[in-house]
Amino acid sequence: MTDFRLHGSKVLAVSLGGDAVKAKNGSMVAYEGRMAFKKLTGGGEGLRGMVSRRLTGEQMTVMEVKGDGVCYFADEARDINLVRLSGEKLHVEASNLLCTDSGLRTGTTFTGLRGASQGNGLFTTTVEGTGQAALLSTGPAVLLRVSQGAPLQVDPGAYVGHQGELRQSFQSGVNFRTVMGEGSGESFQIRFEGEGLVYVQPSERATVGGDL
Amino acid sequence: MRDQAEPLDFRTLPADDNVNDYTFCVALDGRWFLQKGKMIAYYGQIEFHGVGHGPLDALIASSFHSPLHAADWVVAEGSGKMLLADRAFDVNSYDLTDGNLTVRSGNLLAFEPSLSLKQSIIPGFLTLVGTGKFVAASNGEVHFVEPPVRVDPQALVGWADCPSPCHHYDHAYLRGFLGGVRSLTGIGGASGEEHQFEFTGEGTVLIQSTETMLADRETGNVPGQAGVPGGQQGQAGPGFQRSYG
Repeated sequence: MTDFRLHGSKVLAVSLGGDAVKAKNGSMVAYEGRMAFKKLTGGGEGLRGMVSRRLTGEQMTVMEVKGDGVCYFADEARDINLVRLSGEKLHVEASNLLCTDSGLRTGTTFTGLRGASQGNGLFTTTVEGTGQAALLSTGPAVLLRVSQGAPLQVDPGAYVGHQGELRQSFQSGVNFRTVMGEGSGESFQIRFEGEGLVYVQPSERATVGGDL
Repeated sequence: MRDQAEPLDFRTLPADDNVNDYTFCVALDGRWFLQKGKMIAYYGQIEFHGVGHGPLDALIASSFHSPLHAADWVVAEGSGKMLLADRAFDVNSYDLTDGNLTVRSGNLLAFEPSLSLKQSIIPGFLTLVGTGKFVAASNGEVHFVEPPVRVDPQALVGWADCPSPCHHYDHAYLRGFLGGVRSLTGIGGASGEEHQFEFTGEGTVLIQSTETMLADRETGNVPGQAGVPGGQQGQAGPGFQRSYG
């Protein structure tokens, strides 16, 4: 049985009993027991997945880790957040996905304008099924609940991922003052409505819209 | 050990307090000044306006006296809860009661309009005067020390009340011809600790636990005028302002 556990906030320990997990390529820092590492071409989603990842620019280099024992993962001392899924769909940027267990399937989906504003392309990675996943964030992510009547606006640079029944729209405060160089620096936000959870990190990636 | 974090929502988010060490939540009802790009998420109805926005004139006149930093600041207006963070640095809020505090300009995230923001005569620093709350970031936890104290320039976050900030050079290091060559060229080895900021007088000095700094912003340089310290670029004292990037 696969078990995800955090050691501190920056190292993920995965106990494996003969089963396999998918992890970001090269993120293993140590292991106990016997482990086999295999690079999965195209994110381990078969030929179709490989082609769609190539086309969408949402490339993800993934390895399969299989064996008996405990395997430790970490990535650039970034913080790790555990997510337990039971049938929901989790949306996350490929660069923020560290590890998924064998009960989860990954894929790509179209995000629309949000992706463009983040400089992350128009597509995002989805994780579906039942099991655990580990997300990376710069600084510990804050988990925010969106419910009816309480929509949430998120800065595109601080967005990590979301799950649940959420509609996202792109909100822009661009007006003539932005054009005049009097922008507010907070011109673009992603607006989430519906029921679900959003992961936000306490730092911002450089984004295309960040300076406006 | 932290497993899946507990989700927070509009009601459970703290009001004017830290969510965790790296994120601060402002319960906004009115206006706050905010440095650009420090807002990561918000609930509620909030609008962001550049400092040049016409209807904000009266507010700017009373609370924002730093035209050189105007391009870096916005006013958040409305009601809701707003999360602030800065490059995963530690954030803390401070309450001033009829006081003053000077802070490195890149480290200041947001402040209440009951405070007024002025440029310090020390280049690269901003002074807040009045009564109210503000939020500042530091790389690692902030430590408070009392003068007399000498501080590494990179570890300095700011100071409160009225200690006098000045440069201190270890004289022995600079003595003689070889010392002069060393200090000018860096050849001959240096411990990197020959120059400090010295504080004397009554007050509190804020230091951070790392010497890596936030990148200094190009804006906010003092004008090149006679009598203004640091005004002429390249003529400021060695090791000051520009050279620790």
